[in-house]
Amino acid sequence: MAGPQDTPPLRNRRPGRNSPRIPQSDLDDDHTVIHPTGPRARSQIEQLLDTDEASAVLVALLTLLAFALRFYKINHPDQVVFDEVHFGKFASHYIKREYYFDVHPPLAKLLYGLAGWFVGFDGDFKFENIGDSYTEAHVPYVGMRALPAILGSMTVPIVYAIMKESGYSSIIAAFSACLVLFDNAHIAQSRLILLDAPLIFFMTLTMYSYIKFRKYRYLEFSPEWWMWLIATGTFMACTWASKVNGILTVVAIGIAVLIDLWDILDIKKGHSMEYFWKHFMARAAALIALPIILYLSFFWVHLAVLTNSGPGDSFMSPAFQETLRNNEMLLNSQEVRYYDTLTIRHKDTRVFLHSHPERYPLKYDDGRISSQGQQVTGYGHDDSNNLWQVIPTKALPETGRGRIVRHEDVVQLLHVNTQTLLLTHDVASPTMPTNEEFTTWPKDDHSRYNDTLFHLRLVDSHPGAALRTKSGLFKLIHVPTKVAMWTFPGQLPDWAFKQQEVNGKKEVNDKTAVWFADEIVASEDGEVKSVEEMGHKEPKQMNFFKKFGELQLLMLQHNAGLTASHPYASGPFNWPFLISGISFWTQTEGQKQIYLIGNLIGWWTCVVGLSVFIGILGADMLARRRGIVPFPDEVCNRLWNSTGFFLVVWAVHYLPFFLMGRQLFLHHYLPSHLASALIAGAVLQFILSETINFPISIRGPHTRPKPRQYADVGMKGPIIVGVFALAMFALYVYLAPLTYGTPGLTGEQVNSKRLLSTWTLHFAAKTTDAAP
Amino acid sequence: MLVALTGLLAGYDGSFEFKSGEVYPDTVPYVAMRVMMAMFGVALVPLGWYTAVELGLSWRACHLVALMVLCDVGWLCISRFILLDSMLLFFTFTTVFCLSKFHNQQYQSFSFDWWLWLAATGVSIGCVTSVKWVGLFVTALVGLYTIEDLWDKFGDLKMSVRDQCRHWGARIACLIVLPILVYMASFKIHFLILNHSGPGDAQMSSLFQANLVGNNFASSPLEIAFGSRVTLKNMGYGGGLLHSHVQTYPVGSNQQQVTCYHYKDENNDWMILPRWDEPAYDPNNPMRYLADGDVIRLGHVSTTRNLHSHPIPAPVTKLNNEVSCYGNSTIGDNHDYWVVEVVDDLHAGGKDHVNRIHSLTTRLRFRHLALGCYLRAANAILPQWGFKQVEVSCDKENNPKDTHTYWNVENHYNDRLPPGEARFYKSPFLRDFWHLNVAMMTSNNALIPDPDKEDILASKPFDWPFLRLGLRMCGWGDSQTKYYLLGTPVIWWGGATSLILAVASLVIYLMRMQRRYVDMEPREWDHYLYVGKIAFLGWFLHFFPFMIMGRVTYIHHYLPTLYFAVLMLAHMIDHFVFSSRRFTEQTKWITFGLCCFTIVFCFWWWKGVAFGIDGPINDHWGLKWRKTWNIYEP
Repeated sequence: MAGPQDTPPLRNRRPGRNSPRIPQSDLDDDHTVIHPTGPRARSQIEQLLDTDEASAVLVALLTLLAFALRFYKINHPDQVVFDEVHFGKFASHYIKREYYFDVHPPLAKLLYGLAGWFVGFDGDFKFENIGDSYTEAHVPYVGMRALPAILGSMTVPIVYAIMKESGYSSIIAAFSACLVLFDNAHIAQSRLILLDAPLIFFMTLTMYSYIKFRKYRYLEFSPEWWMWLIATGTFMACTWASKVNGILTVVAIGIAVLIDLWDILDIKKGHSMEYFWKHFMARAAALIALPIILYLSFFWVHLAVLTNSGPGDSFMSPAFQETLRNNEMLLNSQEVRYYDTLTIRHKDTRVFLHSHPERYPLKYDDGRISSQGQQVTGYGHDDSNNLWQVIPTKALPETGRGRIVRHEDVVQLLHVNTQTLLLTHDVASPTMPTNEEFTTWPKDDHSRYNDTLFHLRLVDSHPGAALRTKSGLFKLIHVPTKVAMWTFPGQLPDWAFKQQEVNGKKEVNDKTAVWFADEIVASEDGEVKSVEEMGHKEPKQMNFFKKFGELQLLMLQHNAGLTASHPYASGPFNWPFLISGISFWTQTEGQKQIYLIGNLIGWWTCVVGLSVFIGILGADMLARRRGIVPFPDEVCNRLWNSTGFFLVVWAVHYLPFFLMGRQLFLHHYLPSHLASALIAGAVLQFILSETINFPISIRGPHTRPKPRQYADVGMKGPIIVGVFALAMFALYVYLAPLTYGTPGLTGEQVNSKRLLSTWTLHFAAKTTDAAP
Repeated sequence: MLVALTGLLAGYDGSFEFKSGEVYPDTVPYVAMRVMMAMFGVALVPLGWYTAVELGLSWRACHLVALMVLCDVGWLCISRFILLDSMLLFFTFTTVFCLSKFHNQQYQSFSFDWWLWLAATGVSIGCVTSVKWVGLFVTALVGLYTIEDLWDKFGDLKMSVRDQCRHWGARIACLIVLPILVYMASFKIHFLILNHSGPGDAQMSSLFQANLVGNNFASSPLEIAFGSRVTLKNMGYGGGLLHSHVQTYPVGSNQQQVTCYHYKDENNDWMILPRWDEPAYDPNNPMRYLADGDVIRLGHVSTTRNLHSHPIPAPVTKLNNEVSCYGNSTIGDNHDYWVVEVVDDLHAGGKDHVNRIHSLTTRLRFRHLALGCYLRAANAILPQWGFKQVEVSCDKENNPKDTHTYWNVENHYNDRLPPGEARFYKSPFLRDFWHLNVAMMTSNNALIPDPDKEDILASKPFDWPFLRLGLRMCGWGDSQTKYYLLGTPVIWWGGATSLILAVASLVIYLMRMQRRYVDMEPREWDHYLYVGKIAFLGWFLHFFPFMIMGRVTYIHHYLPTLYFAVLMLAHMIDHFVFSSRRFTEQTKWITFGLCCFTIVFCFWWWKGVAFGIDGPINDHWGLKWRKTWNIYEP
């Protein structure tokens, strides 16, 4: 599927029945297909543009423009925008060397960390909220934003080079490059500290390298051949390591390679099996082994840099956490024994499990009745009412490890100050009729013994695991009624001093019903080893592959778990048509906003290009099935193998999103959009003239010489592309205030920029809509 | 939940159950019904055998298929109860059978037999889809087969254009038109028989309900007036009734919740009241009928609060305004005003012809007077605090075509008005048909597994091919007769393995062909490919969609899929042993005997789970072959 080939892809073609049909055209150049003529027979403009000098000028112009458009006012806004919240923060963690956790592989974030370090960012700024000011915190954010802007700008000349190397006219290559160059979505995405610019840059480089590699296929195992093969593998690994979506690039290249290998295997080519295996091994080494090694080494760097404890600790297993310096768990994790007195905290809201002698009111405001038992709440501060003692329900040995509290034990919890046992029962909780009320019951009254039993279930644990402070997350499941102790950030009324409600939740698998033992205050015999006594601990060692395996698994799980709804999430079907964008940033003062939206002309052109291309392929297939050859083999090969490769890239980067359950955003389409820009270029070439540059692959020693052909789109090409580029530029300028977030817009201006009614812009002028 | 599911999906079954109830009204009906179901199960065995014959398998493989169909405890178990699955299985089997019959007629195009089997395939497709929508998967298999067939014919340059057209026409008539007719006919029967009001009502459009016997809508007064007590039905697909209850929003304004609810309840009742600045409604005043453009308040009858909206983001659809209930019969503000906008009326026609608003037939929209937003309920589900009811919000955008902003009056009570007559409320069959289908689809998709809740009965598609989980079909007490839905392990495992083997062998054969090794004659290759394609694609089409479906899946969803795995297993054994030239007759006999023995032995070992196990389960030894099966009590 990549680069032209000798054999047409359809084997049941019936040659000789019909001579190739050439569409009637008044351009003489069309006949070059049957009677290849020299380069001089082309139109003047084509000859001029095809020269290296003209190409260089075009590339220089495009690159210069790309840099200008992406660096324009890059210091604006001087505030945290959209996902800079995450990726900026991660960069600061690298500088601080604090461990963090994220669903995306580390390469792009490492680069940002490096860029930040390079421009002197000290990592103190934490990128807490969208809209936090950079200038006030003296963050050298321009230097960090420069990295994606450079990568995003460099993408443009690579797009040009891909088209040029694939044998399309220079002007067509410029057309594809313009589709990316003037695209507001690509620009907005490349000006901010986000992962997409590196992803797209590396993806484009991967495609370019693979095309170069295919062009050297007649010089197999030559140094250039190896170089481009290895380059493909390297950039593929970089794409994959930049963002999870990069794995799709690997799949796209994989498909192309499989098709290529299948052709080599074909006995009609006359190759031996040894020859095939040689090719197979070369690709396996460069495109499987090498990327995996690189991918692993990026993680190695990631883990080698992040050696200190940080916000990502709590995601990891205890064993992993103990490898991090100053980790809380490393410092003071202890096994809990029966009759230890301890404090218990809720994992998500960090409140202590608390009780006090006050009782629930008999009647709530909504008329429901309580048990009038002692209140059990969640309390955020240290207090002697937070102390609970673990009481066994089984016989314990006198001493030794049998007294340790373990996974799946049934326990009672004694509230120390009031000497009452924790209890829950089938009475509705104060604020949630669906959940059970938690209360306590006097220790000596055995009438409700069963209701005081709780199953201690450690999260992700194995039988016999001990409960440890700090590290051991657990759920407390009530034995008779099977509810889990749970709390949420909801305040109780004044009668409970506005403390947080604790209740029993029926969904025991809820991930928020997780608690941990915070600290052992006293043990049975009163001795407690303080943290200081235990001394300073050095981080433990752990095998890199184990660490990597754990991290990778967690990343996959979290990625699939990102299903919460988001107001700007959109379905994949909307993307190519630009039905809706994403609001990145707003500033009420001056009514400024950044709204991610593409250049409507460019995107719709791409959609038209795609459909025309699929139509051409369909027509070609049907026609050949009926024994008609609609266009000459060379053109057909170009369409199927070169443009077809672009189509595979597009489809592979787009269709899988339909199967994904996670939140999806418009910017997930950008890699596919780039591929569709390539297709649009190829289609324009095909429409303008049925000529191609052929052959474009480098001749090998045994290659049969083929008559040369030259593409010629005549004068129409430059005119159409010029007009088109102007139109795109005009629309780009029109939408620029949304892309750059400056200047501010009045309500009417916002309304006029809203080209589709589905775009949800802020500050729209509307008489009926009082602003919230 | 399963019963509800069947009730909803049971276009065909609904009528069937009803009929069998009629036939045996005085005897014990369930035995008769179970016998009917079991008959379908019995018919599977000969069908399996004949299909194998038609697929051109050797006689040993045919016997093996029949034996496996006979001895699978999963199929046996499901056929013994009044479930849709045995009928679904039966029609799946007939479809494959007809398809293979038709395939064998391919060289006698347009002969009587050719037409017969083509038409039979079509009818069979119609039946299978009207039993359960899973039938669409086997339809897809027939579709793919037909497309490939036509593609071959399209490439046949010797065939005349007229013949091409006839081939296309025949297939369109028999495989598209005919099944649709069968499908619609089954619905027609369904509507004719089920003309009594039942629990499924609220899912349907108001008009449809009005035509059900025993429903009181038709006696509602026709014209709406101020002071009428009404329920408002959202006209979007799967829309419910406008509802409010005392619970408040935990987010946003913290005022009383307003939702859409699918069941009848007195919290759905609203009173049409005049504006605050007009004199309060007085039953002794002359009648004031509601008309287009009137500004009204909607008072919630049981809490007396007023339907209210304000510029606070709605809890789920954050871009819209929140709708709540606020104040009481004396307290309120101008955010309680709604403008009635008529869209059209079923009888009177367009907006211009509507003078007064009629119950059931007039489509309305409610515009918030102060904010200009429209009352909308678009199937966004509220979290647990809203009892998973549908969110009601106020859409700032005016989309006149959005049916989720359309409402109609469903129940209407007004003592001062004369009751209406049923003839005002006729609804056309096609619209009912469409509505029921859409309602089925939305409720089907709404069976989304609750991530917080683990359903012990549900299982994931990946658990099925290798039979990781079974399903307890009834209570598990010691004194009960226990039924456990589980397949015969060797058949399931063998089937799944054969699929992997098939893919592997295909890849190897293709690679060898690419290197021009000749493994078999073209005829053999075609046969290998044809049976493999039917079995693999059939399996894939019945399996893969469940993986991407969001809804809850159960192990019995795999039962139709299993048939294709069984065919593949027989095909693979046939291909590698029974029809192979490398093995002697004796080896084939031994293999055949071994296979038969294993299957029968496993069946015998497991027969209890299908025929029912009496006594404490833990007394029955050796049934638990995989540790994930929850067959024993811990």
